[in-house]
Amino acid sequence: MTDITPDKQTPRAESPLREAWGMFLRNHAAVAALVVLVLICFTAVLGPWLYPTDPFEMVWAPFSPPGDNGFLLGTDYLGRDLLAMIINGARVSLLIGLAAALVSIFIGVTVGALAGFYRGWVEEVLMRITEFFQVLPTLLFSMVLVALFGASLPMITFAIGVVSWTAVARITRAEFLRIRELEFVMASRASGVPNAKLMFGVILPNALPPIIVQSALMVGSAILFEAGLSFLGLTDPNVVSWGQIIGSNRQYILDASYTVTLPGLAIFITVLAISLVGDGLNDALNPKLRQR
Amino acid sequence: MTDTPLLSVENLSVRFEIKRGGWGKKSYLYAVDDVSFQVPKGQTLGIVGESGSGKTTAALAVARLVPAHQGVARLGEDDILSKEGEDLRRMRRRVQFIFQDPYSSLNPRKRVADIVREPLDSLSDKSEAEKKKIVDDLFEAVGLRPEQQRLFPHQFSGGQRQRIGIARALATQPELIICDEAVSALDVAVQAQILNLLRRLQAQFGLTYLFISHDLGVVQHMCDSIAVMYMGKIVEQADRLSLFNNPQHPYTRALLSAVPRVDHPGQPSRNRVLIPGDPPDPNNLPPGCRFASRCPIAKPDCSQREPLPQSIGTTHSAACHYVGTDALDAIGMAD
Repeated sequence: MTDITPDKQTPRAESPLREAWGMFLRNHAAVAALVVLVLICFTAVLGPWLYPTDPFEMVWAPFSPPGDNGFLLGTDYLGRDLLAMIINGARVSLLIGLAAALVSIFIGVTVGALAGFYRGWVEEVLMRITEFFQVLPTLLFSMVLVALFGASLPMITFAIGVVSWTAVARITRAEFLRIRELEFVMASRASGVPNAKLMFGVILPNALPPIIVQSALMVGSAILFEAGLSFLGLTDPNVVSWGQIIGSNRQYILDASYTVTLPGLAIFITVLAISLVGDGLNDALNPKLRQR
Repeated sequence: MTDTPLLSVENLSVRFEIKRGGWGKKSYLYAVDDVSFQVPKGQTLGIVGESGSGKTTAALAVARLVPAHQGVARLGEDDILSKEGEDLRRMRRRVQFIFQDPYSSLNPRKRVADIVREPLDSLSDKSEAEKKKIVDDLFEAVGLRPEQQRLFPHQFSGGQRQRIGIARALATQPELIICDEAVSALDVAVQAQILNLLRRLQAQFGLTYLFISHDLGVVQHMCDSIAVMYMGKIVEQADRLSLFNNPQHPYTRALLSAVPRVDHPGQPSRNRVLIPGDPPDPNNLPPGCRFASRCPIAKPDCSQREPLPQSIGTTHSAACHYVGTDALDAIGMAD
């Protein structure tokens, strides 16, 4: 009775993440968005070498329309090459987007994991703190931080990260509350797995799918946030970013609308691509949608 | 029973805090209330009862997965409930758990070989080669093929998953294995396989089982002695033969009469003991016998006076005021 019927062959050892990747590839919009995103990243990393025009240099008369005088995207109000500015701006925008998202994931996952794992007063205290940050007006608070501590890239990154971690904390806590009651966590405890490993080695990997999706979307919103701050002038004046291009050209929106719409388009395409990828990840990682 | 008990539990209580309103007084729900039992080495004690009777909670408390409120649990000479830190880890090596649901008891992100190895990683200081050898042997012992070690849990059937859970429980060579409804999530044919596997392993490794179940047929097949729980209390405890042939508590009789059976024509049909209604609210338990509100022979003072366990012979006891009296005859024997 104790013999199992031998199978014809052992199936391949497919990890759940690999399976999710296969699922992701079936979502055409998400794959297209991923390709766009890779191209944007490629531009951000290699662009300044492939198109080595200094974005701060006055190369021509102001307001040369796109396509004229050998400038594909024209020049801005100081006669700077807009294409060079957008290529260089991609670096700052993506860098701040990624770094700010990492900061908020780090804070959010730590807070959410501790609250969801230990419950009790730890949870009470951490969730009250989370709620405090949730009700702060985010743009105002980050403007205060940047205005007080100076508009350097690390400070801007930190300011964006520190106002946007609450969603991650709540998602992480909710997942921890669900997963900590599952039997395999109980089994790991019976196996004597210490608390830190239980939290980050056993529960966290199983809580990752919604956190990954949220993080992807957060990169997009951090880019928007940075654009908002630099539009208001709260940015490092030594680097170009998309929001800053829009902000500095905003007076000329009627005379030379392309100086505002082109960097706007760059933001739009990037954030849209990130959202679509995030959406694709959501479908691929959510086991309930897999059955459809 | 002449054997010294491997596991001995005395007056165990487990309570959960219930919040009422913001600043209200704390109140407690006693999921396990003053429970005592013993499991002799190499034997199997079954704990049966309906959902919510506290049988799983009692088992979790013994395995130190739920904090106990009161009582003593001894494994051999060692007190289980007071262990902390390194001592607790050493204790966990000796007590392992098989869970009910094979679909949620295995970490979906780990390869099954790593799942089986987890207790070795955290509880033993064996070398990598030794661990690999142990895992290989365990896979063979539970009837899985070596090449399946690299697979993930979702690539196995329910019965295979339960074998993996059993292999994991065996990894540290424990003395006591607690099987919490270990087969109730499986279909009948697979149940039989797993039960036979458990019995074979018991003989092979000299294991002691604490076997939690609601299925009397399974318990009859597996257990040497049986404790019946109702609302956090043990109402009757006996060796297998006397419990099934001579049940004393009205609740046990009702349970046994509820087991479906093929009636043979010609034989008088059994009269089933019906227990109407639902169990009492566990937040607001009656002062006397907890079964009084559903008991077919309850008298007024049953709901005032709490019945204490009374011995019937050396290995049999039941907590009912009417043990051995005529009143019990009114509800007849199980058969």
